[in-house]
Amino acid sequence: MTGRPASRAAIIAAIVRKDFKEFSRDRLYVFLSALMLVFFIGIFWVVPSTVDESIVIGIYQTGIDELGMLLQQEGDESGGLELVPLASEEDLKGVIAGDLEAYRTVGGDIVTRDEEAGDEKPKDAERVRVAIGIAFPEGFAGPAASGVGTAVTVYSDADVPPEIQGAMKSLVRELAFSIAGHPLPVELPAADTVILGQDRAGNQVAMRDRMRPLFVFFVLMMETFALASLISSEVMTRTVLAVLVTPAKLGDVLAAKTIFGTLLALSQALILLVAVGALTAQNWSVLIVAALIGALMFTAIGMMVGAAGKDFIGTIFYAMLFVLPLAIPAFAVFFPGTASAWIRVIPSYGLIQTITGVSSYSEGWADVWPHVATTLAWVVVLYMAGLFVLKRKVESL
Amino acid sequence: MSSTRAFGLTRTSKGFSLTRTLKVFKKDMAMGPRSPFFLYALVLPVAMTVILQLVFGTLFEPKPRLGLVDFGDSAVSAGARAIEGIELTFLDDVETLKRQVEANDLDVGLVLSADFDEAVRSGGKPPLELYIGGESLASTRIVLDVTALDLIRAVEGSVPPVVVELVHLGDAPSLPISARLVPLIMMYALLIAGIFVPASGLIEEKEKGTLTAMLVTPVRASEVVAAKALLGFVLAFVMSVVTLVLNNALGSRPLSLIVVVSVAAAFSALLGVVLGAAARSVTALFTIMKSSGIILIGPVIFYLFPEWPQWIAKLFPTYWMIDPIWQVALQGAGLGDVWVKVAIAVAIGVVLAAIAGVLAGRMAEQVAGE
Repeated sequence: MTGRPASRAAIIAAIVRKDFKEFSRDRLYVFLSALMLVFFIGIFWVVPSTVDESIVIGIYQTGIDELGMLLQQEGDESGGLELVPLASEEDLKGVIAGDLEAYRTVGGDIVTRDEEAGDEKPKDAERVRVAIGIAFPEGFAGPAASGVGTAVTVYSDADVPPEIQGAMKSLVRELAFSIAGHPLPVELPAADTVILGQDRAGNQVAMRDRMRPLFVFFVLMMETFALASLISSEVMTRTVLAVLVTPAKLGDVLAAKTIFGTLLALSQALILLVAVGALTAQNWSVLIVAALIGALMFTAIGMMVGAAGKDFIGTIFYAMLFVLPLAIPAFAVFFPGTASAWIRVIPSYGLIQTITGVSSYSEGWADVWPHVATTLAWVVVLYMAGLFVLKRKVESL
Repeated sequence: MSSTRAFGLTRTSKGFSLTRTLKVFKKDMAMGPRSPFFLYALVLPVAMTVILQLVFGTLFEPKPRLGLVDFGDSAVSAGARAIEGIELTFLDDVETLKRQVEANDLDVGLVLSADFDEAVRSGGKPPLELYIGGESLASTRIVLDVTALDLIRAVEGSVPPVVVELVHLGDAPSLPISARLVPLIMMYALLIAGIFVPASGLIEEKEKGTLTAMLVTPVRASEVVAAKALLGFVLAFVMSVVTLVLNNALGSRPLSLIVVVSVAAAFSALLGVVLGAAARSVTALFTIMKSSGIILIGPVIFYLFPEWPQWIAKLFPTYWMIDPIWQVALQGAGLGDVWVKVAIAVAIGVVLAAIAGVLAGRMAEQVAGE
């Protein structure tokens, strides 16, 4: 009866164990947590890992070696043009109109296929989709070189954006000027002076990589729901009061909830980061710290929501009120350029920027520490608010 | 004992009463705004329209972004303004331009000195002050580069030794992504207003015991279910119309639109009461919705990707309620064009109504058993 009193750590550990047991009994959240994890990991590996940044142009031209060389040179230099030479103007029109299919063989040759005519699909060949093309008339170079006007037709699918249609017309004119020996009326700058920032042409950040912070966010969000649901049910059923009858103090309960929520969210975030190949020998420390800070942030929100929610619907409703604004920076990553000022003050912005910078742009502590510091400051504010709200709620029971 | 007696009382009220149904409906309308789902139903279409149209509409169809600093009144600026499909930003100083290009706020930046046009015309070959963002796509760089050079050639006044003719092939342009997002927003409006509101309302009545209390009165279980369906129908219809208005997708045939939206609202409301009558708790409803969500949402994904085999969409039951709306509101179709699909939706609705009737009877028996 008068055994040695349990230490605070032992009490907290006992409450954490109870919470994990309770969580594992809630089949809905266990199911959803596992489902979302599998779903996000699956989606990540399905999304393309490269960015297609070239315009595919069908070309029909005969006997104009100079033109072919010029076009090829433009394509090779920029990496933004993929040329698809076609055997006839009719083939070019057919491929763009969708009546014919174009395939590139292993040897690099282009073959066309008329499916309706019963043509077999070429073996070991990759389908090339051509939406715009240029048909140069025979002997185009001669009149062009002598400055005599000649006609060139640009064929375009109606869905091709107007700026690309316009650019193709401009390209043809520029080629004609070039063949005619008409130099540019301006002095072009050196290539290395015009690129600002890291040149990522051919090495763009893929959609898959941009999705990483969003997936981490969703996993953390899911655990917010789980923690909030657990807290609200304990508050509503007054289990928390039963716990306080034991030697456990309110501080122990709050500490246990913090540890439980953080461990739950952190473990899943880390599983996700490992499964999507984000953790490397160089970045693991930053990413683990970022995941820990994120887990603490969402634990704090889970405490507030759990204290406010009266039932399942109420919990979902209040959680969405918090979570939706926090999701905005995760979506903002998909857009090029600087996020608006109002997005930069959202608490999750620093967290998302840290994960993006480290996992997609190979940044390190030196680059992301301001984001980590800002997020940490937000976590302190949110955690204090979460503790205060939950403490008040328990005391009011 | 009392509940059994109470249920006995309900049996004395013969037949289905529209008056009693409307009374329950009136009560639900008065109590509805207290439910988070009711509020969601009102807010969600507006929020989704804003998020999807303003945010994702531009994400899927990004335009090349050209920044210009024009110290004179260059004809290049005037020409750039007239070009379709390029997002043009005029800035006052070179440093801001360079900063924005480096931050990927612009793809390409062009600086035109005060005497740029004069120098080009006189053959002075002025240096081209052009900046390219490191993160801009190679295709975007080409588009902006050749477009800028073409504009400068025009300033030079040289006649190109070629006439370029643009010929469009294939079908008419497909609808923009902003239009193809409308079925997705519509589906969510129907899901929340038509399915979640009546389903959660019915479950709440069961969980809180108010259903038992209502059945003490002459109200029948089928009338409670009908009232919930009516609430779902009204809310789904109103929010569908609001969604179409917000997305500027009312089409040109209002009568046809009213018919197809009514069918979709009724379809979703009937599905809502079936789920509400079948699920024992809100948690169970969420589990059902989470696990079957893809079946409900599935068909709208096919509008976003027209190159996918569209026949697959027809395998989803909700296709038959959403496609007539798509056809009438966005493709200019009339009832004559979509009547087969509407008929299939009505047929599914009749089946759902029958199931709802059976479940209402079972629900009443359960209440009596308790």
